Amino acid sequence: MTGGYTGKILRLNLTNRSVGTIDTSNYEEFVGGHGIGSAIFWDLCEDKAISAFDPRNVVTMMTSPLAGTLTPSTSRTEVQGIAPLSYPIEWFTRSNFGGRFASMLKAAGWDGIVIEGKADNPVWINIVNGNVTIEDAAGLWGKDTYDTQQEVWRLASEAAKFDKWLTVNDSYTTQRPAVVCIGPAGEALVRYAVLLHDGGMAAGHCGFGAVFGSKNLKAISVIGTGSVTVADPEALIDARLWLRRKWGRSSALPYPTTPEAVPPEQATFGPSGCQSCASVCRTRYNDALSNDVHCAGSGSFGVGARGSKVAKRANDLVQRLGVNPYQGEGTLQYLTQLYQRGILGPGKTIDSTPLVSLDKYGTYEFHENFLNTVVNREGIGELLADGIMRAAEQWGRLEEDLDSGILPYPQWGFQSHWVMPQAEWPYSNLLGDRDINEHDFNFTWTIVNRITDVLPADKVVEILAEKTVPYTGDTSMFDYSDGPTGIYSDGMVKRVAWSRHSTRFWKQSVLFCDWAWPSFVVADQPDFKGASPEAEPKFFNAVTGKNMTYADGMEIGRKIWNLDRAIWILQGRHRDMEKLAPFIMKPQEPDVALNRNLYVDAITVPIHKDGVWSYTFMDWMDPAHAYQGTPMYIDETRFEEWRTKFYEFEGWETSSGWPKRATLEGLGLGFVADELESKGKLGT
Amino acid sequence: MAEKNAEKKEWSRRNFLQLASGTAAGVVFGGALYTLVSSGDRVYAEVPVSEGYLVHDSTKCATCQSCMLACSLAHEGKENTTLSRIQILQNTFNRFPDTVTMSVCRQCVNPLCVQVCPTHACHVDTDNGNVRVIDESKCIGCQTCIQACPFIPHRTIWNAEKNVAMKCDLCINTPYWSETGGPDGKQLCVEVCPMEALEFVKNVPSQTDNVGYDVNLREGV
Repeated sequence: MTGGYTGKILRLNLTNRSVGTIDTSNYEEFVGGHGIGSAIFWDLCEDKAISAFDPRNVVTMMTSPLAGTLTPSTSRTEVQGIAPLSYPIEWFTRSNFGGRFASMLKAAGWDGIVIEGKADNPVWINIVNGNVTIEDAAGLWGKDTYDTQQEVWRLASEAAKFDKWLTVNDSYTTQRPAVVCIGPAGEALVRYAVLLHDGGMAAGHCGFGAVFGSKNLKAISVIGTGSVTVADPEALIDARLWLRRKWGRSSALPYPTTPEAVPPEQATFGPSGCQSCASVCRTRYNDALSNDVHCAGSGSFGVGARGSKVAKRANDLVQRLGVNPYQGEGTLQYLTQLYQRGILGPGKTIDSTPLVSLDKYGTYEFHENFLNTVVNREGIGELLADGIMRAAEQWGRLEEDLDSGILPYPQWGFQSHWVMPQAEWPYSNLLGDRDINEHDFNFTWTIVNRITDVLPADKVVEILAEKTVPYTGDTSMFDYSDGPTGIYSDGMVKRVAWSRHSTRFWKQSVLFCDWAWPSFVVADQPDFKGASPEAEPKFFNAVTGKNMTYADGMEIGRKIWNLDRAIWILQGRHRDMEKLAPFIMKPQEPDVALNRNLYVDAITVPIHKDGVWSYTFMDWMDPAHAYQGTPMYIDETRFEEWRTKFYEFEGWETSSGWPKRATLEGLGLGFVADELESKGKLGT
Repeated sequence: MAEKNAEKKEWSRRNFLQLASGTAAGVVFGGALYTLVSSGDRVYAEVPVSEGYLVHDSTKCATCQSCMLACSLAHEGKENTTLSRIQILQNTFNRFPDTVTMSVCRQCVNPLCVQVCPTHACHVDTDNGNVRVIDESKCIGCQTCIQACPFIPHRTIWNAEKNVAMKCDLCINTPYWSETGGPDGKQLCVEVCPMEALEFVKNVPSQTDNVGYDVNLREGV
């Protein structure tokens, strides 16, 4: 191993309270983050068909070799394991969070953490450089995430105040410990409880907070004062300056208002970025309410009151309780639909006690009441805490509401997070394990929205086709029509494969932040071209000293994607299960469709028709645009044909979706093929 | 420009008053600024003021610490926030603007770190714009300069790996960054900051409290 690695992974067994290590070099071929996490899970979780709350579930929290360096936006921690939200099967899945946890962990000398077993009483983990202890958390259990972190700061450090240099072992720091923890939601095993670090850095999707809760693990604190090596410091500095000087903050994607508009003394908020971020997307407020909140945090919970004090207070409570607001708000949207239809309410078919009336939606009292009902599992909260799919199943409504679309959860218990015809998003969700929550192209369309006058559709697809290595030059990847080169075509096969492989490596293993990377189309550059795919390997190689190309990373990403698929297959995955909910495969009534996506109002996408590229403007909020020329739904027959093409492209058996031996061996995963074969689940 | 001159004038007057009370002071000799280092009533040294300063706008800082990582990398060739000569402290749970403290060396007009160094390791680099720097080869690790720094947290940094003190040199000596630094060159923290919350200035900032250093760097307001 060369630059960027500390060489050690911390291995904790909470059952027997042992602290051990794993040499990172054992997993070097998987590079970091998700790749190493999947490989360790494969090795250490013997029975992969267990539930998320089984003590034998293994949780990995891996960093990137680039964390703790000047590389922009890579101080992220990839969390993996079996998680409880997805439905009907609790898939082996992932989530990650930023902030300063990953970089602090590296400074303490650790590339990652593996958590096995279950503590018999609440515990927290205290990491001070190489010293790791498992501490009693009786005094922390029940506290919210903010109080927990501040209490752990006091417990983990001698400091009464963090305003000066503090002694740590034989070294010093001015920094507070980095703490990731759960709130009351995680303790109550709410299936959409998050892991939260600092104000609003959260591993939000999938419910890893509940997995921590099931293991009686309240918090992990880390203080590090050591160094992260860099193979070529000058090359890393040059890369950062190259990015900064050419693209500035616009190398990345939408970021919030810069604080230029008012004099400092009038400013009511300031910016907040994860360690070494070059774009900065978060905010801290002069009332400290919902500091560090982000996208689905600030925008989603209390969506009717977006941007208001109510939304800030509600999101502050979301962060303190440790709830994923995206699922919380999705739940509320569904309850509203049931309420409007007279199905749900006090004394109705579905008794909503102790929820206050949904007419009060948008008031703080309503949101507080809802969150407490869920977290305390009171009345209807007992079912709501298990996720809306399980609740709908208990109410006997699942089939009907997935058919009508009033329950807009097209796959695995995650709600829609995209606008048709962005087909790559639901396709990827379905072929994977969760809502992908990847914004690469989403942001491209957002940017394109603003510059359609100067950047015609044929030019934008040209840039994208040039940048999506290794499928360079195929513009049909970006045809959002339903024509022969559109969303059911070979181009879309490559398009989805590109996303699956690139994110598995560059975003989830090297851990370039989804909100900042890749940089494809940039509005304020003369040629409209962003820094990808040149930037990512440039940083990677400067830190590690390796000689990786973007395409090399794609191949490792394909390997990791296949390893994950093998784990899902051992959990029961088969082609027959990979079905989108019926509502997404037929035209929708506008009043139902309008509720489907809360966040993306309008996008502009390119379509190729009669030999000509043009833009199509889609606006869900405006039916006149929503139906204009592009499909609002996925054609089931054509999608089935598309899936067959995709399986063939990936080297999977088309009838089952199981990888073939040749595919796995070609990726150096012969041992995976052996295991699948022994279980009778190897593709032929 | 008239405003800047007025600032200088005021600054000189204030420091003359300080001289009268027996501490160090800045004076104007033939238009050049000097600091007089005194003991009691006796002036025994004169130190020219630095020709460059880092000022900052803490309300623009995103606490991303890119400056810290850049500093450590350019000077030490590795990433270590403890070895950064600029320190960014944060508390996300506070109310803005108390969420951030930017701890940047002030290149003091009256550099106590320079005055107290027994080996002249900490000195005024007259070849490079009078920047206050530490020559690590002369540092005996007594940490006197660290104790002398009147600011919290102290701006002179202890390198526990090499047992030497370090401080901001405005990038005069960056073994791992080849662009020209110092008062006539560039400073890497300024160059990498995504928020443009750091700026290099030539004029001496007010030495009173932090108002001369934590300034408005917003464009147009």
